[in-house]
Amino acid sequence: MKTFKHFDAESVDHVLAILARYHGKTALMAGGTDLIGVLKSEILPEYPKIIINLKTIAGMNTIKMVDKECRIGATARLADIAASGLIQKIFPALAAAAESVGSPELRNMGTLGGNLCQDTRCWYYRYPDKMGGRIPCYRKGKGPCHAVKGENRYHAIIGGKKCYAVCPSDMAIALAALDARVKIIGPGGSRLVPILDFYNVLCTILNPDEMVTEVRIPEPGKNTVQAFYKNRPREAVDFAVVSVAVRLERTGDVCKDACIILGAVAPVPYRAVAAEEAVRGRRLHEIHAADAAKAAVKDARPLSQNAYKIEIAKTLVKRALLSF
Amino acid sequence: MIQTKNRQKKAITLTVNGNLHKLNIGDQPHEISPSYTLAQTLRETLGLTGTKVGCDQGACGSCTVIMDGKPVLSCMTLAIECHGSKITTIEGLADSITGKLHPVQDSFVKHSAFQCGFCTPGIIMASKSLLDRDPSPDPHHVKEALSGHYCRCISHYQVVEAVMDAADKGGQADE
Repeated sequence: MKTFKHFDAESVDHVLAILARYHGKTALMAGGTDLIGVLKSEILPEYPKIIINLKTIAGMNTIKMVDKECRIGATARLADIAASGLIQKIFPALAAAAESVGSPELRNMGTLGGNLCQDTRCWYYRYPDKMGGRIPCYRKGKGPCHAVKGENRYHAIIGGKKCYAVCPSDMAIALAALDARVKIIGPGGSRLVPILDFYNVLCTILNPDEMVTEVRIPEPGKNTVQAFYKNRPREAVDFAVVSVAVRLERTGDVCKDACIILGAVAPVPYRAVAAEEAVRGRRLHEIHAADAAKAAVKDARPLSQNAYKIEIAKTLVKRALLSF
Repeated sequence: MIQTKNRQKKAITLTVNGNLHKLNIGDQPHEISPSYTLAQTLRETLGLTGTKVGCDQGACGSCTVIMDGKPVLSCMTLAIECHGSKITTIEGLADSITGKLHPVQDSFVKHSAFQCGFCTPGIIMASKSLLDRDPSPDPHHVKEALSGHYCRCISHYQVVEAVMDAADKGGQADE
């Protein structure tokens, strides 16, 4: 790996001061499981001069309930989130999503903030520089999206336009279904952004001088149920081919309200509004689940090799709805 | 704006297999660069080449070491961030005086739970860590704990047998 300067952050203010001083020449590091890969492969033309270690900020890895709201610090490890009794009890979908990330070793290292802010896994984007040169593409600001005419079996089926890479985060999918908000702190103060607004087609809305410090999830109502399902080639390590997170509010066996989020099908976490409408006010029955599954992928425009994702998405939506 | 020290560490200390190492950060000989991974530092600076680097991207598990009681990927960890940590590598498992192998190592030998052996140090470290936490896992737990490890020689079946066998014999005992 090319060298850089390495600073241990003492506090959030310290990070902001470094970010302001070395504008755009820095990279924030939490678990490092994504960033170190990016640096080793030198996929981006700009190489950071300074790496800021966020793990040294005291108290930013806690999981606690404050005023009917669960607050998870950005450097909380995925293994700790998956094993947390609080998360398992109140947010089983989030615990399942955390448990589904990578391998046990990766979960011992990876953090919530890092999982949300990780870079995409598109193989053109990630192509290492030392093997014949990095591949410029739309996402890197130059050239077309190579997935359109190339190998695209893991790319977007919905909402791709100039770039068909998918959002790789599993946590974002579960958090979106749970109506979570991301706390972002920058020079202008802090703001709370709903997860779905946190992402845009080319990554996140995070400015170079800002950082994520916390995620807040409202405590779900009494009659709320939730589920997270993930399909991948192997049972471990792989990123999702399709993932689905569902939160339902129900009275008896009638669905009062639903939030259905699909992951790895679009450049951002995809909220399947049509599918939600298909189950709202209905009984959770095989037929309505099938309707919702069909509605969830009604906007799908697959590329040459990824139409199979449609069937997987439908199956996962159905499975999630019928799991309650 | 608050006044802060924008300086990187000058040196780190690592306890590897019970031995304390002080490593200076820099670009001189015998110093480590801030960009050195833990795997690189263990292998190239400390000469502990038992830890293997396979994919170098955190996907194969062969570089696994135990850091502060948890299995982590040493190829995706910066050495400079390990200051003050306790690290156990494959070299630290056998008894340093008698040379007697750790029960998990013994069990791997007995079951021939490897062919080429490149992935073995990582798998053994993850297995030891599992047995330290859960002395009597069921095969499902073993598979889950080792799910981040790849063996191109397909010794996975024998690995599960070996870990289960070590568990039956109290493999966690670090006598």
